[in-house]
Amino acid sequence: MYFILDLLLLGCINAIMAAGVNLQYGYNGLLNVANYTFTAIGAYVAGVLTLGKAPQGTSWIGGWSLPWYVGLLGAGVAASLAGLIVFLFSIRRLRSDYLAIVTVAAAYIFYNWATADQGLFDGGNGIFGVPYIFGGSTITTNEYAALLLIPTGAILAICVWLSRRIFRSPFGRLLRAVREDEVVVKAFGRKVWHSQLKIYTLGCFMSGLAGAMFVFYITAWSPSAFLPGESFFILAAVIIGGTGNYWGGVLGAFVVVEGLNELTRYLPNFGYPADFGAGRVMLIGVGLLLVLRYRPEGLFPERWLHWYERRPVTLPVTLRRRPLPTAVTDAEGANR
Amino acid sequence: MHTFFLGIGFGLVTSAILALAAVAVSLQLSVTNFINFAYGDYLTLAAYLAWSFTRAGIPLWLAIVFSGVLTGAIAVIIHILVFRRFMRRSVRPVTLLIAGLGVSFIVQDAMVIIWGTEPQRFTTTLGSARQVGPFLLTPGDMIIILTGAILLLGLHMLLAYTKFGKALRATSNNLDLAQASGINVERVTSITWFLVGVLTVAPAVALVLESGTLDPTTGFDELFVIFGAVILGGVGRPYGAMLGALVVGLSTEVAGMYLNAGYKSSIAFALVIILLMFRPSGLLSAAGKTS
Repeated sequence: MYFILDLLLLGCINAIMAAGVNLQYGYNGLLNVANYTFTAIGAYVAGVLTLGKAPQGTSWIGGWSLPWYVGLLGAGVAASLAGLIVFLFSIRRLRSDYLAIVTVAAAYIFYNWATADQGLFDGGNGIFGVPYIFGGSTITTNEYAALLLIPTGAILAICVWLSRRIFRSPFGRLLRAVREDEVVVKAFGRKVWHSQLKIYTLGCFMSGLAGAMFVFYITAWSPSAFLPGESFFILAAVIIGGTGNYWGGVLGAFVVVEGLNELTRYLPNFGYPADFGAGRVMLIGVGLLLVLRYRPEGLFPERWLHWYERRPVTLPVTLRRRPLPTAVTDAEGANR
Repeated sequence: MHTFFLGIGFGLVTSAILALAAVAVSLQLSVTNFINFAYGDYLTLAAYLAWSFTRAGIPLWLAIVFSGVLTGAIAVIIHILVFRRFMRRSVRPVTLLIAGLGVSFIVQDAMVIIWGTEPQRFTTTLGSARQVGPFLLTPGDMIIILTGAILLLGLHMLLAYTKFGKALRATSNNLDLAQASGINVERVTSITWFLVGVLTVAPAVALVLESGTLDPTTGFDELFVIFGAVILGGVGRPYGAMLGALVVGLSTEVAGMYLNAGYKSSIAFALVIILLMFRPSGLLSAAGKTS
C-alpha cells in the first residue's frame, strides 16, 4: 500500500516539475538543464520557513515555524526569483545550447554554495525534521502520504490547468511562435525577451512548488538530494512524453521517472549490485534516443492538442472571457 | 606569496589536464557544431579502460595507448550509430545536445554494470613532491604538464601543417563549402571523433592519477568545468580552448588557496558567466558558432 502511495506522490511531484519544464522547453524552446536546482531551492526555502530553530550543532537561516502554505508560496517565489537572476545573467546573446551550459554553471554555483556554507542550509548535512504539514506527530507515514496526495494532486491539477490556459491564449501562441522562429516574431514587433522572461520564471515557480511538496513529504533535504544529473531525468521525461503538449510532460513524468525508474527497481539487477539500479538509466537513455530519432515530437505530440483545442469549449459564463477565433487558432495552424 | 606560487603550481597541472580535455571538446565542437554531453563519460570510460589494462599487468604507458585507441574507436562507433543519424537530418543543435544526454545515460550505466559504483584506487608511485623554482610539484605533475604541452604542440602541427588538418579546418569553417570542394566530410568527421577519443585518454588518466580514485561519475563531474573553459576561450577555437583552460585552471587553484575549497569550481563558473555577459563569444571568437 505504501509502495503505491509513494509512487503516486513522487509521480505527482515529478509531474509538477515536468509541467514547469514543459512551459519553458516545450512551449518556448528555452532549454533549462538545471530545473532540479530550482526544485532544490524551493525545497530548502519551504523547509527553513516551516522548520523551527536549528538544534544544537546545526544551523540554518529562517526557522520561523510558519504555516505550510507560507512555505509553499515562499518556495515558489524563491525559485522564480532564482530563475529571474539566472535569466537576466544569461540574456539571450548565445545560442540556446550554450545558454544551457550557463544555466548549469549557475546550478553548480548554488550547489557549491549550499554545500560549503554551514550557516545557510547546514552545508552538506542539510536540513532535517521538517514538520508534517498536517496530522501532528501521531500520524503514520502511510496516512500522511495518503493525506499529502490531496494538496499535491491539487497543485498538479492547477499547473496543468494553467498550462492549458496558456496554451490556448494569445500569449501561448506568441510563445510557440518564438520557439519556431524568433526573428519573425521580432519582425512583427513583439517583445520576444519579455515573453521568455515570463514563461521562464513561471516554469521555475512550478519547480519550486514541486520542491516544497517534496520536502514536506520526505521531511529532509541536503545537497546529495539534487545532484546535477537529476535535472536530466525531468528533461528526458518531458521530451519522451511530448514537448509542447501539457499532458505530455505530466504523462512522461509518470511513465519515465516513475514507470521506468521506480517499477524496474524490483527487477533483478545484473552485474554489480549497484545502489542506483544499473540498467534502468540505460533504458531511459535508449528511450530518449529512439523518441528523438523516430518520434521527435514525443509520445503525446503537440499536434493532438491542435485538433482537440480547436473545438469551442463551453466554459461557465463567469469564466468566459473572449470568444476563440475560429479560423486560425494558432501559429502552426496557419501552415497546414 | 608562497601560497600564491603554490596555487600557480597546482593551477598549471589543472590547466594541463583541462586544456587537453577542452581542446578535444573544442575540436569536436568545431567540426560537428553541437555540445556533446556524453564527453564526461568518454573521460571516465578512457580512465576505466586504462585502469583495467594496468590491472591485467600491462605497463601504464602501454595501457594508456591501448585505452586511447579503444576510446577513439568507441567514439567513432557512437558517432556512426547515434549522432550521424541526427546530423544527416540536420536537426537543431539542441536536439543533438539532448541525444548526447541519452548517450551519456547509456555509457554511464554501462560502466556501472561493468565496473560497479564503488570507487577504485588508481595511483602510481613516482616519488614525492619537491621544490621546482617557486612551485611544489611531484614528478607525476611534471610529466602531466610536459605531456600536455607535447600533445598540444603535436595537435597544433597536425592542424597547421598536414592535409588532414587543412581538411578539418575547412570543414569546421564551412561544411557545405568544404563538401563542395571535394573534401570527404564524413571521413573528416569520423577521424575527428577518433582523434577526440585518443586525446581524451591523457586528461582522463591524469585526472584520476591526481585524485587517486575512479568511479562512474568522475568524468561527468568535470564536464562543465571543461565546457566552461571551452566557452570562455571561444567556442570552436581549439587555441581559445587552451587559453580558456589556462585561465580556468590557474584562477580556480589560486582562489582555492585562499577560499573555502568548496568554492573552487564556483570561481570557474562565475568567471564564465561574467565574461559571457561582456563578451558573449568568448576570448577568441569564431564566426557562426555561437549565434
